[in-house]
Amino acid sequence: MNETRSCRATVTPFLFTPQVLYIECASGLIAALEERVMKKDLGKVRNIGISAHIDSGKTTLTERILFYTQRIHAIHEVRGKDGVGATMDSMELEKERGITIQSAATYCDWKDYAINIIDTPGHVDFTIEVERALRVLDGAVLILCSVGGVQSQSITVNRQMTRYKVPRIAFINKCDRTGANPYRVTQQLRDKLDLNAVMLQLPIGLESDLEGMVDLVTMKAIYFDGEQGDSIRIEEIPDNLRDEAEEKREELLDAVSMFSDELMEAMLEEEEIDEALIHEAVRKGTLSLELTPVFIGSAYKNKGVQPLLDAVTSYLPCPTDVENTALDLDKGEEEIVVTNDPADNLVALAFKLEDGRYGQLTYIRTYQGTLSKGDTIINTRTGKKVKVGRLVRMHANEMEEIETAGSGDIVALFGVDCASGDTFCNDKINWSMSSMHVPAPVISLAVTPVDNKAQINMSKALNRFTKEDPTFKTFVDHETGETIISGMGELHLEVYIERMKREYKAEVEIGAPQVAYRETILQRADFDYTHKKQTGGSGQFGRVAGYIEPLEEGEYEFVDQIVGGAIPREFISSCDKGFQKALAKGILTGSPITGIRAVINDGSFHAVDSSDVAFQLAAIGAFKAGYPKASPVIMEPIMKVAVEGPSEFQGAVMGSLNQRRGVIIGTFEEGNYTVVESEVPLSEMFGYSTTLRSLTQGKAEFTMEFSTYKQVPKSVADELIKEFEAQKKDA
Amino acid sequence: MGYEPLVSQNPLRAFNIGRTGNQLGLVMARAGLGKTALLVQIALDAILRGKNVLHVSIGETIDKTRLWYDDILQLILQEHSVNRPHELIEMVAQHRMIMTFNESSFSRPRLEERLNDLVLQNIFVPNCIVIDGFDFENTERQVLEDIKDLTENMSLQAWFSAISHREDTRFSPAGVPAPCHEIDDLFDTIILLKPESDSSINLEVIRNSGEKVENGKELKLDPTTMMVKEI
Repeated sequence: MNETRSCRATVTPFLFTPQVLYIECASGLIAALEERVMKKDLGKVRNIGISAHIDSGKTTLTERILFYTQRIHAIHEVRGKDGVGATMDSMELEKERGITIQSAATYCDWKDYAINIIDTPGHVDFTIEVERALRVLDGAVLILCSVGGVQSQSITVNRQMTRYKVPRIAFINKCDRTGANPYRVTQQLRDKLDLNAVMLQLPIGLESDLEGMVDLVTMKAIYFDGEQGDSIRIEEIPDNLRDEAEEKREELLDAVSMFSDELMEAMLEEEEIDEALIHEAVRKGTLSLELTPVFIGSAYKNKGVQPLLDAVTSYLPCPTDVENTALDLDKGEEEIVVTNDPADNLVALAFKLEDGRYGQLTYIRTYQGTLSKGDTIINTRTGKKVKVGRLVRMHANEMEEIETAGSGDIVALFGVDCASGDTFCNDKINWSMSSMHVPAPVISLAVTPVDNKAQINMSKALNRFTKEDPTFKTFVDHETGETIISGMGELHLEVYIERMKREYKAEVEIGAPQVAYRETILQRADFDYTHKKQTGGSGQFGRVAGYIEPLEEGEYEFVDQIVGGAIPREFISSCDKGFQKALAKGILTGSPITGIRAVINDGSFHAVDSSDVAFQLAAIGAFKAGYPKASPVIMEPIMKVAVEGPSEFQGAVMGSLNQRRGVIIGTFEEGNYTVVESEVPLSEMFGYSTTLRSLTQGKAEFTMEFSTYKQVPKSVADELIKEFEAQKKDA
Repeated sequence: MGYEPLVSQNPLRAFNIGRTGNQLGLVMARAGLGKTALLVQIALDAILRGKNVLHVSIGETIDKTRLWYDDILQLILQEHSVNRPHELIEMVAQHRMIMTFNESSFSRPRLEERLNDLVLQNIFVPNCIVIDGFDFENTERQVLEDIKDLTENMSLQAWFSAISHREDTRFSPAGVPAPCHEIDDLFDTIILLKPESDSSINLEVIRNSGEKVENGKELKLDPTTMMVKEI
């Protein structure tokens, strides 16, 4: 079909991976989209995410969507033989591993709707990416594998979607696979995810006999002809499926009639039911998060993708259907609902950064107002003015230049210096989109560049990664001089090390992964400390008295109960600073101390010798005096670990978790398939994938995410303290 | 452990419910009256007395089952002040394990296999097992006898819940409604939950292996919190 279309070949100069050459059609789609956005027809814009468990076919589905919406003109498989890889997996590493690491934003046109798609990563180690993507989405497609069903990652993603109130539709993919059972998966959506899941389609044949599906709204059979399933044939429902279809349609109507009085009436009167009524009811149910319509198909076999696109446009919300709030920084972070009006003051959120060879690329979503090339906008976090240079619309790793972006749009800016999560406004307002929940890193390791060149490249790489990903942190350990990187899991760090090597040619040696321990106290302890120094020059004097006690929630709190000027006003903040400095390193393992409330209620000063430094040192001394009396303990990160696999290995799996100091929360058994949920200290999880593989003949897999910090048992604490002492002696 | 007041003030003590030997207990009621809530309170009472409880949920998820415990524990913490609530929550998590099955996966041999997995590897050695959602309607007497043997062999106290139906009027001579009317002799303790006209729910103790220590007292479920209360 490409031959009949007028095409031009373009090699876009901004490819991050230049070996991919796409043939792009000058079809005027961009102009059409811009026109729509400018016409304020936000009702026809969809910002959606595609989220799922790893390997359930997100990237393949996205690839098909781009093909059917004519954004690309050839289909490349994720692990395809043509060696090109799917369009959305734009990083080399992703192509090799077959997983999507960073969400690539892309847009496409379906019928007269404009759809922005954020492809989100499937591994839990990259959840910050998923969360960030969810923040800017209006709706989502939850993809499930018809064989694997609802797996642990789907549960995590679903929970995140619920947190951000994202309406969703479900797509049960891989219905061509042996063992496919979309009915079972739909039931799991109800049981495990607590969703009111209702099938809107019935499969015609399953596994290798999958031919198409019955649309329960129109009551027609849909088939997908042609090599790439691009020609759709609508027929009557096959006789053998008629009864089942009638029955399922009744179920569907029962479920959706809750959302439409008109539909309910029509059903009671036994009238012919108008399709539009059903669509309207399904949409209402979906938007209220009380209904999850379920679609089926096989992206790989090119079946069911076009009806899914129809569903995206019919049932998922447009930007004005969703209420988004910002915080007014000038009014004490008062919450304000954004207007979505393109004529209003600009509010845009930078949700993702990428650093290409032409500078930093910032993905932003506009919530109100219009962003135009040449505008001056203000980063409300830093207060810096930024001029909008180039404005582009992203398609995986190709881009199209545009002049303006209206409210509700997702586009990218070039050369804007900011961090992800920053809000941009015009000079009339000072708002910030509510801050995103960023978990603290739990694992760290030392990276040492092999030579000088690697050193330079490494710092470039780290600088970029930390801007892109708030859960990835880096710092230099002043005692050892080593560069430490930290993040959310082993795989998380591994991927960045790989990227350093590949994209930045920074060869590094890595140390053993270290768990981020913390220290805290269990009881209150008083202190009364005087800092005095009088050896030459001006002296130093400060006395600080009070107590420290455990803080149930939060990391640190400073309470000033000084009366009568025992410590002058100007030195109170010095005491606060001193305590904060003291918290950086505990005495047990040298880990940061958290969960402390420091209260000062007395002190004294000297008219000449008291100073900022003197009171900081007094506070440090006071803390050091009180801390050992406050029953200090070591805390370690505990991970929520879910292992899934055949039931025959359940005993072995539980044994392996138990050996690793894991507490088994529970097990779930369904047929021959088991999930074991447990909480295991991160320090015990190194190398678990190897253990699990050999225990279960590679048939089980596990996911892990940070859960909480807990006190380490006495025996382990003793070991850690001993190690720390030995290190101190060596140093 | 410092949780003695929680144990000694628990209304369940009035009937010594769950506090004697390796008995087999049954909680029966129509749907939605609070069977699971009562089972969880019996389980928590056992945990507070230092026992390990295995909670088997048939047709429920781990998260939902855990939520029952979290909610009831919160209610207990609201009523009684405990020094370090976090430690109590932690302690409960360590003495409880949840095992969930979908309806078709649960069977006696599978339960035995799972129990052996736990006990032989010393992962979790339960003293009490709670089985919620067991399908009495489609179960032969023999299966239940087998389970009773199993729990006796493993020195376990076991608690079941069963749903009765308003329209089914069959009763055993002791007053146990269908579907348990023909097997009620297997149980040492049987409690019926009965809704009263004032929307509270009465605990009718049909049989009790433990001695009733305080005569004249009655137990109710508070209809809003589903907590057991003395009256």
